Amino acid sequence: MSSEPIERRVSYIGDCLRACQCGICGKEYFEVRDYCGICGRKSLGKMRNISLFYDKGKLELCTLITEPTNKFRKLGSYIYGIVSFHNGKIKVPGRITDQILKKDEIVDFSKIEGREVIPRFRRRYSVGASEVIPTISLAFTLADEYYPYQEYKIIAPSKEYKLPGIVGYGVYTSRFRIKENRIERAVPFIDEDSITAAVEAGKFALIHSAIDSASIGKVYVGSESNPYSVKPIASKVAQVLRLGEEVEDMQAVDAVDTEFACKAASSMFKDAASLVNYPESGIQYTMVIGADNSQAAPRGCPGGELDAFVGFGGAAYIFGKADVIAEIEGWYSVTSDTPDFWRRDGQPFPLHGGRFTGDPAYFKHVKKATTKLMEKFNLKPEDIDYFVTHQPNPSFPVKVAKQLGFKEDQYSISLQVNKFGNTYSGCSLIGLAAVLDVAQPDNRILVTSYGSGAGSDSYLLRTTNQLVEKRKRQKINIKSQTENPFIEFVDYTTYRRLKLGM
Amino acid sequence: MQNNPAIVSVGRTKFGEHYGKKPEKLMEEAWLVASNECNLERKNLEACYLSDCFLPITNKLGLEEGFLSELTQLHVPMEVTSSVSAALLAACNAIKAGTYDTVLVGGIEKMTDRWDKIRDDLMLLEDPWSYYAGCTPEANHELMLRAYMKKYRITGDDVEKLNLALAKVSVKNHAHALKNKFAQFHRRITIKQVLSARKNAGKPLGLYDFAPISDGASALILTSANLAKKMTDHPIYVLGGSSATDFLTFPSREDLTGFSATRNAMRKALKMANLSPLDIQLAEVYDQSTVMELISLEDLGLCEKGTAWSCIRGSCEDYDGYYESRGKKIFVNMNGGLKADGNPIGATGGAQIFEMFKQLRNEADESQVLLNENPPKIGCIQELEGFGTKAYITILGDK
Repeated sequence: MSSEPIERRVSYIGDCLRACQCGICGKEYFEVRDYCGICGRKSLGKMRNISLFYDKGKLELCTLITEPTNKFRKLGSYIYGIVSFHNGKIKVPGRITDQILKKDEIVDFSKIEGREVIPRFRRRYSVGASEVIPTISLAFTLADEYYPYQEYKIIAPSKEYKLPGIVGYGVYTSRFRIKENRIERAVPFIDEDSITAAVEAGKFALIHSAIDSASIGKVYVGSESNPYSVKPIASKVAQVLRLGEEVEDMQAVDAVDTEFACKAASSMFKDAASLVNYPESGIQYTMVIGADNSQAAPRGCPGGELDAFVGFGGAAYIFGKADVIAEIEGWYSVTSDTPDFWRRDGQPFPLHGGRFTGDPAYFKHVKKATTKLMEKFNLKPEDIDYFVTHQPNPSFPVKVAKQLGFKEDQYSISLQVNKFGNTYSGCSLIGLAAVLDVAQPDNRILVTSYGSGAGSDSYLLRTTNQLVEKRKRQKINIKSQTENPFIEFVDYTTYRRLKLGM
Repeated sequence: MQNNPAIVSVGRTKFGEHYGKKPEKLMEEAWLVASNECNLERKNLEACYLSDCFLPITNKLGLEEGFLSELTQLHVPMEVTSSVSAALLAACNAIKAGTYDTVLVGGIEKMTDRWDKIRDDLMLLEDPWSYYAGCTPEANHELMLRAYMKKYRITGDDVEKLNLALAKVSVKNHAHALKNKFAQFHRRITIKQVLSARKNAGKPLGLYDFAPISDGASALILTSANLAKKMTDHPIYVLGGSSATDFLTFPSREDLTGFSATRNAMRKALKMANLSPLDIQLAEVYDQSTVMELISLEDLGLCEKGTAWSCIRGSCEDYDGYYESRGKKIFVNMNGGLKADGNPIGATGGAQIFEMFKQLRNEADESQVLLNENPPKIGCIQELEGFGTKAYITILGDK
C-alpha cells in the first residue's frame, strides 16, 4: 500500500514543481522551505515561492536506465539525469519520457546532454489497481522535439465583451500514433492517462489565454476514462495548475468532474459561460476540460469494434468576458434515455448497441439539436462558416453534416478523428480547436456534441478580432500535433500495452 | 593517551549468499571468532555497538540489540547504527571518554533474503525525489562518471582509456579477492568480460562495475590502549576517526565529481592522527562501483583531482598489486573491495577493518602487503552511507 499522507505531500510539491528562492541571497531550492540554508533565521518570511512547472530546464547529465527498480519496470528502458533550471541555480533529478528505446539501441548521451527540456505531468510509477495513482512532473520531454516550449506570460485583459465566450484553449495529445487503414490515432505513452492529459491541456489553455491561473473560479473536467470511479480529475487539475487563489495548501476554486459519455465536457460550456456572466459570482474565468484515454476492449472481444477508432487526448477551454476570441451566442440541448453505449461500474471496457448507435442515437440527437438551434437563430446552413460535430468514426460526422445541408468546406477542417482517433469527451472540443486555429474574425461556428446515453448540445459561436491576435501565443496547436516530424508510429501490440498504462 | 582506542581482535563471516542461515547465526559466527581470538569473556564486555542498514526491511527485525542480547545472554548497553564505521566511531568516543573499557563492535546484513526487492530498498539511501524520478542504485554512479568526464574534458581516445582504467579496477579487485578466503567471489575476471557486460547493457557501467548484494557479518573487539596489551600482543590503534555529512539529494550538490563528505572526514581524521595523505600506505575504499574507487582515490587525497584515472591506468598497465601515485605505492582494496569481497551494507565496514587489521599485523597471508619487506604501518578505511551522503574515515596504525 502506498501511504496516502505521503502521496498527498509528494504530489503537492512534485506535480507542479514548487520551488522557492531566498529573498536575501537569491539561492533557489526545489521544494518549499521556510528559510534559506545560507542566510538562516534572518531569511524567515523572506522566501519567495517559485514554480518550475511552466519553465524550461536543461538536461545537464544523463544516463540510461535499463533495469529500473520494481515500480518503474513497465517503463522499460529510459533516460534519467539531472535537470537544471535558471542557469544551474536549481538542479533536480528527472526522467526523459515519451521515448520507446529499442532493445539494443545505443544512446549517445553527449547528443542529449545540454538540450532544453520541459516538465511534463505524468504518472510516477506503477501501483496496485486499488491504490492512489502517484503522479509527478519530474518527467521531461526534449524541447526541440514534439512539444516545443511555450512561455506562460500573464497579460492584463484589454477589452470587455457583451457576451461571455472562449478566452483561450489548448489541445494536448501524445506523440505516439497507430496507423491503420489510413486512420491515425493518438496513443498515450505508458505514463499517461486521462488525468495527465487533462492537466496538460489545461496548462496549454492557460498559456494561450495568458490569464492568471488564480483568476479561475471553477473548473469542470469531463471524461469517461477517469482511472478512478470515485475521485475527481478536476481536483488534480486545480492543484497542479494552481487554479484560484492559494489558501494555505488549498485552492480557492470549485472543481468538479462531469460525465455524460462524449459530451461530458461540451455540455458544461454553457454552465461555464453562464457562471462568468452572473454578476454576483465574482468569477472572472472558468475552465472546461474534456480528456480521455478512450477505452476499448481488444479486438475480437465484445465491444472490440471500438478498438479501431479510439484515440487519446484532450482539450481545455477557458471562458470569460474579457479578451474573448469567440462569443457564445446561444445553444440548444436535447436528451433522451437511449442506451446506445455504456460501461458498467467496475468494467474496464464499454459496450455499445451496434447498429442502434447510428440512426436512433447519434444522428437523431445531433440533427435535432443542430436544426433546433438554427431555427432559434433563424439561420440556414449557408449562414454558418464552420460546422463541428462529434466524431466517433470517420463516416458519421460527414454523413450527419451532409444530411444537415453543410458543404465539405464547412465541416472538413473540424474532422480530426483521422488524426487523433475518437478522443471521447475531447472529441468535439478538438474539432472546435481545429476550426479556431484557422478561423477568421466574425466567423460563425456551429458546434454540436454528442454523448451516448444520449444527448446533444449545439452551440453557436461568433469569433472576434482577438482570435487572430492570440494565435501567435500558441506553438502547440492542431497543425503542430498532426504534422509533427517527431510523431512515432507504434504497432498494435505496443498500442495496447501503452494504452493500458503503468 | 591511555584511553586511546585499540582493536584487539577481528572476526567475520564469508560474504555472499547464506541461504540457510538466519541473521543471528551470522552475527554469532563473527562474534565468536573475534572473542575467541582475544580470549574475551562475555562478562568483561561492557557495551555493544552494532550496525545494520536493512534488517528491519529484509528480515522484519527492528531491534537487533535484543537478539544479540539473547545470543550473548548479556544485558549491557547496546546501540545500533547503519554502518560498522559509524558504530566504531561511537565506540571509540566511549572508550576515549572512559565510559567503557571493552566493547564489541559488529555489523550484519542479510540482503539476499529479499533479492527481488532489494534494489528498491537500496533507494532508501537516496533522496526520495530521485527515486520518484526513476533513479536506480546504479544511476548516480554513471552520472558521476559523466560529470567527471565533462569536468576534466576527457574526450576522444581518452574516453576509451578511462573506460579501460575503470575495467581494470574491477579486474584488479577480483584478482585480490582470490587471496581472500572470505570473499564473495573467487573468480578471476578479464577486461573483456567487464567491457562486454557494459556493451550488453548498453550503458557506461555494467554488471562487473558494481558491488553485489550480499549477506554477512563482521565483528571486532575494541578496548583502550592501556588494556589492549593484556588481550593481545599486537593491538592495532585507531589513530584517527571522523565522519561528515552531505546533502541527500545528489543533483543539488555543488560538486558532482566527488564527495565532500569524504574530503571533510579525511581532513579531520588526518588532523587527529597528525598525518598527511602521503603517510597512507594502504587504503580500503568504498568501491560500490569502479567509479567510486576512482573518485575515492581523489577524495582521500591519494591522487590529485582529475588524475586518478590516469594513475589507475598507468599502474594497471602491468599491475604489481598497488597503484603508483606521486611516486608512492598505494595498496588499495587488498581484500577485493566491495566489488569482489562483497557488500552486505551493515557489515561491510567490518570487513574493511578486518583486512586492515590483518595487514598491519602481518597476518594477511597470501595477500600480505610488504613495503621494503616490512608490513605496512598506517592505513585508512573509507566507508560511505548512501551516495556520499555520509562518509566515515578510520585511520589505523600499529603504534
